[in-house]
Amino acid sequence: MPAVTTPPSVQGAVILVGNPNVGKSVVFGALTGRYVNVSNYPGTTVEITRGEARDRGTAHTVIDTPGVYSLLPMSEDERVTRDILMREPGARVLQVCDAKNMRRSLMITVQLAEMEVPLVLAVNMADEARERGVMPRLETLEERLGVPAIPTVAVQKKGTDRLLPLLELPSPSSVRLSYGLRMEAAIFRMEGLLPPRTSIGKRALAIMLLCGDDSLAPWLSENVSAAQIREMNEVRNRLAEESGEEIAFRVNQARLYWIDQLLGELGVEPAPPPGRNFAQAFGRYAMDPVYGFPILFCVLLLAYGFVGVIGAGYLVDLLEESFFAGWVVPSVAMILDRFVPSAFLRDFLVGPYGMISMALSYAIAIVLPIVGTFFLGFGILEDSGYLPRLAVMVDRLFKKIGCNGKAVLPMILGLGCDTMATLTTRILETRKERVIVTLLLALGVPCSAQLGVILGMLSDVGPVATIAWVVLLAGIVLVVGYLAAKIIPGESSDFILEIPPIRWPQVGNLAVKTMARIEWYLREAVPLFLLGTFLLFAADRLGWLVRIQVAAEPLIVRMLDLPPKATEAFLIGFLRRDYGAAGLFSMAKAGMLSNLQVVVSLITITLFIPCLANLLVIVKEHGGKVAAGMALFIFPFALLVGAAVNLFARWAGITF
Amino acid sequence: MTEQGQDEILELLWTLREEGKTRRDEVLRSTVESGPECLLEELIGRGMVHASGEEILLTKDGEGRARGIIRRHRLAEVLLQNLFELDNVQLENSACQFEHILSEPVVESVCTFLGHPPACPHGRPIPRGECCDRIRTEIRPLVMRLTEASLGAIVRIVFITPRSKRRLEKLSSLGIVPGSRLRLLQRNPSFVLEIGQTTVAVDRDITDEIYVKPT
Repeated sequence: MPAVTTPPSVQGAVILVGNPNVGKSVVFGALTGRYVNVSNYPGTTVEITRGEARDRGTAHTVIDTPGVYSLLPMSEDERVTRDILMREPGARVLQVCDAKNMRRSLMITVQLAEMEVPLVLAVNMADEARERGVMPRLETLEERLGVPAIPTVAVQKKGTDRLLPLLELPSPSSVRLSYGLRMEAAIFRMEGLLPPRTSIGKRALAIMLLCGDDSLAPWLSENVSAAQIREMNEVRNRLAEESGEEIAFRVNQARLYWIDQLLGELGVEPAPPPGRNFAQAFGRYAMDPVYGFPILFCVLLLAYGFVGVIGAGYLVDLLEESFFAGWVVPSVAMILDRFVPSAFLRDFLVGPYGMISMALSYAIAIVLPIVGTFFLGFGILEDSGYLPRLAVMVDRLFKKIGCNGKAVLPMILGLGCDTMATLTTRILETRKERVIVTLLLALGVPCSAQLGVILGMLSDVGPVATIAWVVLLAGIVLVVGYLAAKIIPGESSDFILEIPPIRWPQVGNLAVKTMARIEWYLREAVPLFLLGTFLLFAADRLGWLVRIQVAAEPLIVRMLDLPPKATEAFLIGFLRRDYGAAGLFSMAKAGMLSNLQVVVSLITITLFIPCLANLLVIVKEHGGKVAAGMALFIFPFALLVGAAVNLFARWAGITF
Repeated sequence: MTEQGQDEILELLWTLREEGKTRRDEVLRSTVESGPECLLEELIGRGMVHASGEEILLTKDGEGRARGIIRRHRLAEVLLQNLFELDNVQLENSACQFEHILSEPVVESVCTFLGHPPACPHGRPIPRGECCDRIRTEIRPLVMRLTEASLGAIVRIVFITPRSKRRLEKLSSLGIVPGSRLRLLQRNPSFVLEIGQTTVAVDRDITDEIYVKPT
């Protein structure tokens, strides 16, 4: 992600904070004009993004953060948000609330008030709240909280223009809750043990410490002496003895009680009569035990039709055969022949391992249409709010592989891009779940680029081969997941997932999101495609390719029964497996592979680690040791499975 | 204190009768109350106990009162043991106090909540109450697991018994705390509940730990 240079501003940054799926990223976009990925499900934002907003000549740095249920962090992404609040000096907070769910939004407000950060509330999705007749009266809210609360509809940019002027001179909320005598006494003692200057309100820190927030440990070791930490523990232990261990729960309960009183006092705006709502009805049926599965099947069918038939079929034919093979490559060759008659250059650009004939034609003609249609279709699914309902449908299945339904979100995203999906595993709460899902993504979830190529090849072989490929892959994912759940130590987390309302996707957001992802893909993939092709070209020129093919012969030719040329595909498959698959694709088109060979080679390459970028992200997320372990398992395993399928098929006489 | 002393004697008479002991000297030997003779006379005077020769028997009135005491005591034992996992000494002491203070509606709630247990932790039978009979005709118990709540009905959370502190914190940050109202929307393929305008999907082991009451 490119770094944004921040101009010197007098005040600190504006930090966007709020519950998951309330539209922080949309508000961020409206304020800064910068696009960050926006979807209709909780947990889309896993990293902070900085941008700049200008208002009457003043520049404000704006920071988008992952959504939180509480500022007492329970997952990695929640910790990111809490930490940024503690680290940004002089920060101002713009809390984005869900107008329909003020009860939960105010839970965060109360904590922000305790942190004593200057605060403005954007009460977002005011349109949905008004439609449902639950829009609270904001004037009274402003009075009680002592901070501005602005109704907004961020996706339509309504009300967002009023936010920046208010953020010029914000003040902290005056709200202070009382948690009862014992708790207050403990808070008082805890406050006394904190260093004289803290970046956020002492009361907030004291409560976090009493609630047993161990994610504060690094901050503590930097700022507080060991003797004071001992004393802090004494204060906390005494409180726990006096009033029970569940301090955090009691604190939340007191907050909710206060909020319920406040909301009762506010009342709601008068509501229009409720109408029939198709989207809400669909939302219910999509996770119904009876209708849910047919709907899931229809969604899959539609997605396949869109990506498989339109993208991989029609668009690929158009681009590859008509545009590249029929027009680009011949015209480049012609121009070269006429003006630069160099056999080397001709080979380099349009030869069998040419930059244009191989790298660009794979990247643009074969992979791009498929990736583009996938991202568009996936965007529609994301923005509609269907994906969390899918998580409800598959929760029990995912329990068997040591995860819960939530893990389906990164897995489905993996069908788009495994690298992106590996980053999204942060929404999972325990390390065990994150490692399992990362492994399964790397092993068995083909990304859209590869998926398109593979489906294109399989559709030529026939439906039986496609089914065999899907069943084998699903089986491998389940078996490996099941075993990984047994082997990898640690705990699985609870399945508690918020289900957003079904919404019509906004065309504007869909377009921007799809374009952003396609751009990301091109940046990520094309350089690797060029590099891979260059390596092949060089290896071919230097005569290494033949030697590698000879060396790999026992593996590729004997074990897998594939032609020696397939070695190339596997070689570049180390860089990007979609590129490898594209190599197989052109071999199959040239009639160099039998049906069985297509199936064997595809299964093998699907099980490869998706690409270099994915491997690097695994290193980043889980460390080199875990990444190396996964790679050492995945590559031999992929070849072994390929060999086993080949042997079995030959023994059973299956030729597809 | 005579009231409480009388209760203790009635309780003792009931327990001894379960063991087949009804003789006056056996009663006097087993009691720890001061002035047991005096208490017995008082009970005879109030028509709770009938003395025939060496035998001490409960009258109809005495039977009813003793039944109530025993029921409260043993239900309290079950409650304290199942829910708070107290040890035996604490169990006995607290149960002895509970038997004097619990009112009839509270006893019914406790009994229903515990699922009308037939016996106390020591294996002695708990006398049936009205609520235990009613369970057969009435469909809904007073307090039930959210898992068993009827679909679509608004229920109020009475309490939550989570396996882990973390789970409790997570639930409470979503607004799921005792006192909150919610609706169960479906059980399969996962449990889905609606609290305010929020829809949340959870596992069965979580709904098992949330106890609710119909509103």
